[in-house]
Amino acid sequence: MGEIELNIGPVHPATHGVLRLKARVEKDTVLGGDVEIGYLHRAMEKIAEQRLFNSFFPNVDKLEYVSALNWEILYASVLEKALGIDIPPRAKYIRVILAEIQRIMSHLIFIGAFGQDLGNITVFTWALRERELLMDIVEKISGGRLAPMYLRVGGTEYDLPEGFDSMILPVLDRLEEKVNKDYKAVTYENSLFKMRTKGVGVLTRDTVKKYGITGPNMRASGIERDLRRSEPYFVYDSLDFDIPVEDAGDSYARFMVRIREIQESIKILRQAVRALPKGNYINKQPWMFKIPPTEAFVRQECPRGEGAMFLVTDGGMKAYRLKIRSPSFYTVQAMPEIIKGARVADLFTIIASLDPVMGEVDR
Amino acid sequence: MDLERFRERFGDKVKIDKNILTLADKKDLIRVVKFVSKYFDVLYMLIVVHRPPKFELNYIFSRYQDQEIIQIKVEISDKENIASISNVFKSAEWEEREAYDMFGIVFRDHPDLRRILLPEDWPGHPMRKDFVVTEEIKHWTGLDLKF
Amino acid sequence: MKVDDAVPNEFSYPGLGEIFITNTRKFINKVLSWGRANSLWPLTFGTSCCAIEMMVYGATKVDADRLGNLFIGDSPRQADMIFVSGTITKKMARRLLTVYQQMPAPKYVVAVGACNISGGLFWDSYNVIDGIDRIMPVDVYIPGCPPRPEQFLDAVKVLQKLINENKTRGGVYGPREI
Repeated sequence: MGEIELNIGPVHPATHGVLRLKARVEKDTVLGGDVEIGYLHRAMEKIAEQRLFNSFFPNVDKLEYVSALNWEILYASVLEKALGIDIPPRAKYIRVILAEIQRIMSHLIFIGAFGQDLGNITVFTWALRERELLMDIVEKISGGRLAPMYLRVGGTEYDLPEGFDSMILPVLDRLEEKVNKDYKAVTYENSLFKMRTKGVGVLTRDTVKKYGITGPNMRASGIERDLRRSEPYFVYDSLDFDIPVEDAGDSYARFMVRIREIQESIKILRQAVRALPKGNYINKQPWMFKIPPTEAFVRQECPRGEGAMFLVTDGGMKAYRLKIRSPSFYTVQAMPEIIKGARVADLFTIIASLDPVMGEVDR
Repeated sequence: MDLERFRERFGDKVKIDKNILTLADKKDLIRVVKFVSKYFDVLYMLIVVHRPPKFELNYIFSRYQDQEIIQIKVEISDKENIASISNVFKSAEWEEREAYDMFGIVFRDHPDLRRILLPEDWPGHPMRKDFVVTEEIKHWTGLDLKF
Repeated sequence: MKVDDAVPNEFSYPGLGEIFITNTRKFINKVLSWGRANSLWPLTFGTSCCAIEMMVYGATKVDADRLGNLFIGDSPRQADMIFVSGTITKKMARRLLTVYQQMPAPKYVVAVGACNISGGLFWDSYNVIDGIDRIMPVDVYIPGCPPRPEQFLDAVKVLQKLINENKTRGGVYGPREI
């Protein structure tokens, strides 16, 4: 008696996109729930069978729309593996630089949205202000702010602009100073924030292994695994960085892992910009090409976990089947088990700390 | 990963080629998957390819301590159904629901087989090769769907 | 009955009372339009990529507050206008229409991005509506994929001009054809 079903619908100012959660609630505790997705299913996989290979790049941008270049790099890698071609060393360094810049931008949006769900509008405006500086750099490189269609098969479309190090190094200094000093006082060393996030939404190691969750959510529960360290691709094996791991598994740990990842990405960027070689930036291919019948599988570390693509070709100019594996799909699948036993007011803290992006869940 | 133990255990019911295992008969799927679950932790991806009139299912498994993966291939025809592996690997639940939604493959013994990405009264299964996107489907607004 | 009977065939100069009433009515409409145009509260609605640019529009570099656009309208009952940003799929169409019908009149609609003008990048997808003017009346269209945040400011200025000249599709008593 006294059990009601609370519908947190697709149109809501706080959920990250269009996610529908039907929670069963009794007095003030959540007993469980049901998740409904599919409000943003745009049929990317069917469109991939209707477009030429190079014409599909703008669509891949819109999968994880806060960090678009990571998925473009993945799609270009899968095409290069199916064709069997190599890319020059300067292109590898440029791809690493862009991937790390987009990782910082994605984590800044996480900090802003997490703060806003808790009621802290100050950190939302600060995080977006820092993100604007990085977006100006992406715009100078490629011409687009949120949807840079900059990657091509075999390298990149244009070279980096002249004076790139003098553009990016002051921005990294300013970012490091803000994350280490200003954000501390309003978020991770603030007693109100700690009271609201410590012990809330604990994700145990068994749940992580049962559902296949990867990324910062997994590292906040004690499992140390990062594809950049165990299966290094591009030039990650010659760069020096650490992998942040926490043990508690609650929302505070997931927040701290992402703050530390920003600091590690700044370290990687400083080394890569200094070691950038000169030379060719693309191994040019014709615009329309055919791929002989084969299968290719590539996986890389995206900001939310391990993303992967599987391509099946049949000798034509279009793909026969392209399957996209997104890391947020598995996080959302595990949500009904994570919210058991929480209070109703903590539901949004848990959803925001898991950081799903509905564009890649629904594809 | 050394796949010789599969050949000793299952004999000639499997064919091995680099790290791809091809099953000759779909009835052995559950036994092979239970043997796989001793070495691998989680179902990574499930890929369905429609080569009319057959479906080809590829299961990719992976584990957490290192970077090994294994791929298992099964072929079934258009009208058959296949056993579900969600009792062995819990992460297969939503992947199999998506395969049912997009292609129409029915998995036996699945705890909750219904559509996941499209509404429940959407006509047809769209990722099949005989589903062509016509002008009428492009201009339909979907306001008469109930779900 | 001939058509000529409908046309008045007498003309008389307006008296002082009529002039007074017409001018007062015009003045009151001008004051009400000024009030409506300078404090438009949008509903916080965003589905996908264009919603990120709308968040930047509400933040500090491009300030939405300077035109009166406060993002306080969390509930549809308190909102004046809606920025429809993000792709609308066939599953989402019914929910968007419900939210639109819950807003009290006068209400205005701005379609943001190429996906909402004509389907955009997903024009040949089986699950995307090509253009939201198939389901609701639209006042201003913003092109781009995604548009820059400064274009949202431009759109609000155009909407204010349309309100002051009384040429919008969302009238005082509900949507109307113009």
